[in-house]
Amino acid sequence: MWENRCKVAVSGVGFSKVYRSAEIPLANLALDAVKAAVEDSGLKISDIDGLSAFSALSASGHDVVDGIAIVSVDYLRRMLKLPTINWLVQVQTAAEGGAVMQAANALLAGICKYVVVWQAVHVPPGSYKNLPGAYASGEAQFTGPYGFGGAGEPRHAMAYMRYLEQHNQKKEKTATLVVTERKHGNKNPNAYFYKTTLSREEYLNARMISSPLCLYDYDIPVQQACALVLTTAERARDLKPKPAYLAGYGQRTVFEEPGRFLYSVPGMADYMDFGRSSSSLTWERSGFTPKDVDVAQIGDNLSSTCIYGIESYGFCGRGEALDFIQDGRIDLDGELPLNTFGGAASVGRIHGTAHIIEGVLQAQGRAGERQVKNAKVSFATGGGAIAAATTFIFVGDPY
Amino acid sequence: MTISDWSKVKRPIPVPDDLTKPFWEAAKKGVLELQRCQSCGRYNHPPEPTCTICLSTDLKFEPVSSKGTIYSYSIKHQADQRFSPVVPYACLVVELDGTKGAVLVGNLLEAPYTEAKIGRRVEVIFEKLNDNITLPQFRLVKQ
Repeated sequence: MWENRCKVAVSGVGFSKVYRSAEIPLANLALDAVKAAVEDSGLKISDIDGLSAFSALSASGHDVVDGIAIVSVDYLRRMLKLPTINWLVQVQTAAEGGAVMQAANALLAGICKYVVVWQAVHVPPGSYKNLPGAYASGEAQFTGPYGFGGAGEPRHAMAYMRYLEQHNQKKEKTATLVVTERKHGNKNPNAYFYKTTLSREEYLNARMISSPLCLYDYDIPVQQACALVLTTAERARDLKPKPAYLAGYGQRTVFEEPGRFLYSVPGMADYMDFGRSSSSLTWERSGFTPKDVDVAQIGDNLSSTCIYGIESYGFCGRGEALDFIQDGRIDLDGELPLNTFGGAASVGRIHGTAHIIEGVLQAQGRAGERQVKNAKVSFATGGGAIAAATTFIFVGDPY
Repeated sequence: MTISDWSKVKRPIPVPDDLTKPFWEAAKKGVLELQRCQSCGRYNHPPEPTCTICLSTDLKFEPVSSKGTIYSYSIKHQADQRFSPVVPYACLVVELDGTKGAVLVGNLLEAPYTEAKIGRRVEVIFEKLNDNITLPQFRLVKQ
């Protein structure tokens, strides 16, 4: 077991308002989220001395304009004008979960006291590109000319098509995941679809984007930011919220991928290795197993990625997830409450930090209407598609 | 069921680079060649600077079978506007015979998109884009 388990904790969390388009500049939303997380902790902005973020576009092919399309660490640093900065990092690998992991590492190294991690995702003008312009270079030269791109990320669609075929599964079973998530999302005031329900019929009758994925298999583009504050366990105990102690974390270590643009997509290659490598580190470090988990947040930027995640993190066997999720098992009072904040299916495309934040809230007992009873072991992933994912376990009681 | 008219589509034009030039040179001649590791026999596509399996740099382009199997597919019902004349259309991922592990993306031509099924047999045909680029494509093998 990891000797540093429960030595770092997440304290406060915060969200900006959510918009369907970029009516408020992203930098302002990032600031709102950061301020909310700091206030939720019972701190002042001037207490923050560490910054960590992964700043990414919501879709490829658009201009990266800092403050507008992303909010980098450097950009936020200038907006905050912190009196003391002891550490800051712009994370590339391991995505948004990586930003949390790096913050934990810095705190354990004793070089900073209070770190804020944020994520801000932008809705670009017009429709998503994801397809090159007149000329296709790099990897795109083998995909763009065929119209293999654009809305709906056909790589992921193809992967799910093959998954369903290989496991002799019915795509319709996916409805249970998305509909249950939306039910949970209807209890999450920060969710874009807080007030919008989704029925099984609506899901099953939804238009196809890139078969077999329909409209509701994708997360709706939104403009929003969220943030969390990390500190050492002792300092966290002096702050307002009950700490969510970090019991363990892991990032994906398996990278053998022939045909990068396709095999890096879980479902096309052996996705079981992807999730296994990041979660096995977390199980090992925390000393827990999937059976110990009371509540789980699993990346669902596409419904299919959550399906792969349930299996590859070890909650059920290969090919079993579409059956595993049935019969109320993933409801708030089920055997494995899943994506209790509503998942990306309810909050839209704010990537993975919302999953981590809900993992924190469940461990802290602060998930309100969504709180799972006796949520002792809270599992959460950061980063979507399990290909980039990191995994975390938070507990409310250190051990 | 109609077959899409691809003549109205304005396809992005591939830009060959140092790694991929041999692929496009062969395609221009109506031949499919993939990069093959001379140490372990592995085919790499897209071409890589080192073998993805054994890391050898002894890599050469070799002709491969023009027949293969649909590994997976997706029907695009929503697409970039340049492809709207052919929506819905089939994007295929094809595993060519004898090249286990290497897959190629293509469209299903000369057939309605509904004919795309995992496991179906296809063969390579070539679609000239301009004087520099000829695009490998797929059609069903006539049974």
